[in-house]
Amino acid sequence: MSKMEKIIILAVFLGFIGAFLLLMVVMPDRDFSQQENRYLQRLPIFSLDALTEGDYTADFEKYTTDQFPFRDAWTSLKARCELLLGKKENNGVYYCAGGALIPHFDVPAKEAVDKNIDYLNALVDNTDIPVYFGLIPGAGEVQSSLLPKNAPIGSQQTVIDWAYGRSRAINIDVQSALSAHKDEYIFYRTDHHWTSLGAYYGSLALRQAWALPCPALDSYQRQTVSESFYGTTYSSSGYAWVAPDEMETFVPDDGSATVLDLGNDPPTEGPLYDTSFLDVKDKYSMFLGGNTPLRSIDTGHEGEKLLVIRDSYSDSLAPFLLDSFSRIDLMDLRYYRDSLAQYIQDNGFDKILVLYSVSNFSTDQNLFLLDPTLF
Amino acid sequence: MVFSSILFMFIYLPIVLAVYYLVSSRWRNVWLFAVNLVFYGWGEPVYVFLMVFSICLNYVSGRLIGKYRETALPRAKRVLIINTVLNLAMLFFFKYFDLMAETLSLILGADIPTLGLTLPIGISFYTFQTMSYPIDVYRGDGHVQKNFIKFGTFVALFPQLIAGPIVRYKDIADQLDERHENLDQFASGVQRFIVGLGKKVLIANNVGMLWDVYASAAPGELTFLGSWLAAIAFSLQIYFDFSGYSDMAIGLGRMLGFEFLENFNYPYISKSVTEFWRRWHMSLGTWFRDYVYIPLGGNRKGLPRQLVNILIVWALTGIWHGASWTFLVWGLYYAFFLLMEKLFLLRWLKKLPAFVGHIYTLVVAISGWVIFQQTSVSQTLVFFRAMFGLGQAGLCSGQDMYYLAGFVAILLIGCVASLPAGSALFKKLPQKFRAVAVPVLAAVVLVVSTAYLVDSTYNPFLYFRF
Repeated sequence: MSKMEKIIILAVFLGFIGAFLLLMVVMPDRDFSQQENRYLQRLPIFSLDALTEGDYTADFEKYTTDQFPFRDAWTSLKARCELLLGKKENNGVYYCAGGALIPHFDVPAKEAVDKNIDYLNALVDNTDIPVYFGLIPGAGEVQSSLLPKNAPIGSQQTVIDWAYGRSRAINIDVQSALSAHKDEYIFYRTDHHWTSLGAYYGSLALRQAWALPCPALDSYQRQTVSESFYGTTYSSSGYAWVAPDEMETFVPDDGSATVLDLGNDPPTEGPLYDTSFLDVKDKYSMFLGGNTPLRSIDTGHEGEKLLVIRDSYSDSLAPFLLDSFSRIDLMDLRYYRDSLAQYIQDNGFDKILVLYSVSNFSTDQNLFLLDPTLF
Repeated sequence: MVFSSILFMFIYLPIVLAVYYLVSSRWRNVWLFAVNLVFYGWGEPVYVFLMVFSICLNYVSGRLIGKYRETALPRAKRVLIINTVLNLAMLFFFKYFDLMAETLSLILGADIPTLGLTLPIGISFYTFQTMSYPIDVYRGDGHVQKNFIKFGTFVALFPQLIAGPIVRYKDIADQLDERHENLDQFASGVQRFIVGLGKKVLIANNVGMLWDVYASAAPGELTFLGSWLAAIAFSLQIYFDFSGYSDMAIGLGRMLGFEFLENFNYPYISKSVTEFWRRWHMSLGTWFRDYVYIPLGGNRKGLPRQLVNILIVWALTGIWHGASWTFLVWGLYYAFFLLMEKLFLLRWLKKLPAFVGHIYTLVVAISGWVIFQQTSVSQTLVFFRAMFGLGQAGLCSGQDMYYLAGFVAILLIGCVASLPAGSALFKKLPQKFRAVAVPVLAAVVLVVSTAYLVDSTYNPFLYFRF
């Protein structure tokens, strides 16, 4: 090596580490990462106690990576390198045809599914109201042709078949309704939820089960409300260069429906679509306003009363059902802590729908709350 | 603290280097002594006291032995024995106490409580390093170090503190007194550090994920292809992790004016297991040779005694690698092949074509890593059955093809980089091209490694068990 070469390599190395040390000092720390959708580690406060008893050093190390200058660019460079090396997944998300980011799915232990189904059956056996049960498969199942070849992803169909085989509720075939349109834009490319179009096809499966009329697609007033939605799989994957999703509404909020959030005391009234969420990262929460223990919609239409035991998929589905019920209540067992049986008795529902995505149903630990004999 | 972290590369290292070169040379050891303790205490601050205790103990022993060996040799010997016992007791207590407690509880049916202590990082390395010093003084192989700071700097020298190479005091005694830091050495140190960083962050961490996929596979899932993919991936992971760490240590040493001995020399090109262990973790082999094998009599007391000595050394080498009986099994596994080679196998191998020796050594080493890394013997057997065609899951599965596609590039890079052919080929390229390629490659490795470090919570450090 000539002297010049030595000086160059020295300059590259010392310049690089020195420059970033300087940048770390002068660049302001960030509170929140939009890209990763989480709060970043701030500079921990030094004290002797924190050093010997606490996690000072661990926090400080997390601080250095969390606040590293241009962090988002670094993480996306890493994702690009992985892709270049031939890896089609990063941080549990598959990089699929057409830029779709599909989350990995592990088949849960049969016992875990059995347990949740037993709680459902206990509800069926202990109420006179008809109980309907739907499992919504994700893009990893319905659009599996987009996945990288031989991707080792669990079969959601297996879980549905197993669960429906044991269920004594009236099972709803959401899977077929979605699969019939698997080439359409029924799942967000950067998020695990179904799109409003997907929710529409889901609503048809329900309507068939309930013998309700099935409105044609072109009878709805489709409106694009956002063209810059980056969802959960975008956040966790680091594939920062993929195109954002579009969000649509099909049923306009004409003011005839009243949405009450009963999770608040006193209950608060909210819109069908809370467009303030369109300005933040968590745009999907626009539908009804996101997660809450209990929400009640007075639809302004004639019809029966429906209780939905929900996860977040139901929020974009609910608008499609407004015209066929007089009231739709959405209960989230992850947050609702009062007696379900009591609530059913007090409110005189005509139908109960237990509707979960397969992946939530596989991992949810709160379904014991369905069982009236336990409370 | 580990080298392959944002904290080390972008905060600790620039500050250490800047101050080191700003102060005059007589303050440099003092500065190193201080920052060594910060480096060491980062993970578990209280263990700084353990380190300081270890420095004091061996410092005092060294001075006493130095004083007595001229006048009262038996006294010097007594000090040496006490010192060695105390050092080993410390290592034993922190590293092996729980294993002994569990094992004895199992055998005797008694209920000996375990302590669940965090293993002080690098204790296996620095205990060996410090222990060697009073021994060398006693034997007359090294001089007494009267300057406490210099001795402390040697013991806790951060580049080789936690994962080697195991530096014996006599090898760097002169450098502690006088170093001539210069551009040549610094530049080669930088280059070496970047090579090590790339090996650890870009290759080792990456192929390690492939091993993780298969490590706990059930017998019905583990195919022939899958088991070999996983075992080869781990063989590459441990080589690039460990030798990468040694490269970084040697490079950092050079940046500070130290020259350490080499620790790896392309082990996977060996034609026999004997040769493999002359190329793998050389500083450990040398240590056991100088401080255990030769004192036991080595090969000077007849063949049967030599075979027993080999067995002892390899049982110790095995258990040194971690507080679990599987490491003992792994050590004895190697003792078996080394004994066979000593007795007849080496002679046979010499008569056979070279590729037979290569394949035999690779199969022994790769299978050995399965024993090494699996936490239970039963899971090791699951792997061996699949690897040698007795598995239940057949030749290969769709899942194997997926992982093969995802990892084939990095596996190939790893295979080529673990052979000398790659660097030999590079040296054949025209000088002009290399003059451009070296800094460009260095910059690319630096930038991409940084990306992985920023991204990654997946940056496990394998040697915390040592």
